[in-house]
Amino acid sequence: MAIGAGILRVPKEAKKGEIVKVQMVITHPMEPGTRKDPQTGQLIPAYHLTKLELFFNDKLVSVIDMGGGVSANPFIGITLKVEESGTVKISYEDNKGGKWEKTAEISVV
Amino acid sequence: MDRRRFLLLSALGIAGLTFVPGIFRPSFASSKLEEDIQKRLGVSLSQIKESADVKLQAPTIAESGANVPVSVESDIPVEKVDSLWIFVDNNPSPWIADVKFTPMNGKVYFATRIKMGQTSNVRAILKLKDGSFLMAAKEVKVTVGGCG
Repeated sequence: MAIGAGILRVPKEAKKGEIVKVQMVITHPMEPGTRKDPQTGQLIPAYHLTKLELFFNDKLVSVIDMGGGVSANPFIGITLKVEESGTVKISYEDNKGGKWEKTAEISVV
Repeated sequence: MDRRRFLLLSALGIAGLTFVPGIFRPSFASSKLEEDIQKRLGVSLSQIKESADVKLQAPTIAESGANVPVSVESDIPVEKVDSLWIFVDNNPSPWIADVKFTPMNGKVYFATRIKMGQTSNVRAILKLKDGSFLMAAKEVKVTVGGCG
């Protein structure tokens, strides 16, 4: 998958007031900038996600700041309290200016 | 930095620490970690209390340091919690990630996978809205490092 492609997983349905898990995996090399290329001895430049924001119906739920210490192709799990049907959106960016978004729907039953 | 200079500097660093009373602690605390915590949290590590209210889950032994699953949970109501930090003591850069919570999260929960260069303590530090800090730490043994 291309760098920045993400998978966002939420339950399709939830009860009102239920706390659901929001899980995501994003394709990214997450180079910390401290590793050396074993062949050339040159530092591999940093290339990692810096920030991920979680929205529900365009209201900001959580902000996650991260560095190169998070594993390649980062997995993140966090919770969300669902009071109404709506759209979960994650928006994330890396240190080279890449910016992506991903959405998923939850309906209250 | 070459090996010789690194050894000299670290020797100097350790010597310096032993001569300043009160700063030196025989525990796992490394100065890089303390620097990072001071910079990002604005308090020193010694001011942060360990608490059983923060539940940190991590493997006791990790096969690969490149991918260590870590999750943090707490029964403290999310309304009282401001944010969460994750640190690894012995990594080249100890700071891993931080999370800002809002009441819309419903509860305090965060899971991710982290890199670890070597066997080290993993720390989760919660900041409460009243300004206090709570910490949980767990040692993870790493057989193959994931930072180089």
